[in-house]
Amino acid sequence: MTTSSPQPETLAEFKDSFSYGSRPDLNFKFLKHLPDQAAAEFFRLLLCKLGDALDDGDFSRLVDHVLEWQARGYAEAKQFAYADGPFTPLAKPLSEARMALISSSGHFVDGDDPEPLGIADMTQEMAMAKIMELIKAPPTLSAIPFDTPPQRLRVRHGGYDIHGAQADHNVVLPLDGLRHLQATGKIGALTDTAYSFMGVCAQTRLLKRNGPEWVSLLQAQQVDALLLVPV
Amino acid sequence: MEAAGIATVIVASRVFRAQLKMMHLPRVLLTPHVMGRPLGPPGNRNRHHEVLTAALTLLETASEAGTIVSLPGSYRP
Repeated sequence: MTTSSPQPETLAEFKDSFSYGSRPDLNFKFLKHLPDQAAAEFFRLLLCKLGDALDDGDFSRLVDHVLEWQARGYAEAKQFAYADGPFTPLAKPLSEARMALISSSGHFVDGDDPEPLGIADMTQEMAMAKIMELIKAPPTLSAIPFDTPPQRLRVRHGGYDIHGAQADHNVVLPLDGLRHLQATGKIGALTDTAYSFMGVCAQTRLLKRNGPEWVSLLQAQQVDALLLVPV
Repeated sequence: MEAAGIATVIVASRVFRAQLKMMHLPRVLLTPHVMGRPLGPPGNRNRHHEVLTAALTLLETASEAGTIVSLPGSYRP
């Protein structure tokens, strides 16, 4: 009787493991889109720059390295292409316009959990584990008053690293910045609430079904301009 | 939204430049910020304000669909 030893992990398996695999880390899920040799180069350069930072203490080169390679990774990802699209000039000066905000950040107000897939109190880890089910599910638009206290905001999203959004919602849901611009008169008015949804939904459904509903929602509030923040 | 008379502007990380360019969207402001923090680092109100101001300028000045503007700077937490 013979026993087989486990097969060593390949480079492809290693880089893919950051994307919903055994080492889930949404900051680095882009590695899955890279060819093996490119992923190896990412790690080689990361260690090289880390070594340099040990001597001069400048870790900003690591931030730039991650940004550069995130861009390379997503440039390799599947893309939707449209030949053209509608364009509407702003109908009035911004100082007289009513503005809305929709972010795909996955925020909601405490006590108003959209309960994706019918699951109450879904954790971030569950959202990541159920990413394929969430993509097939219809998105829910959560209304978020602009003056919501930060401690009442919740965020959950299976598609991106939410640590920044947890530390400060304004990195992806700029409630405070828009309120300031409205208070200073740069923006005429804001809608009563901002909106957020977990943007891991199917694009075709979003375009054909949810989009028209959301257009009607904003038209009913006489919205002139819309800030969209995808993650 | 645009077809319904609502002018839109998108603020997104430049890591998604390729996808956003191919979608031929009305107005896109690309920021030099990592994924998940398109407005800038947590707590950096000045940077968030810079991004929003640039987005509003783009909203007011763009004259055709497919307008993409890149905000200069770096992501510095």
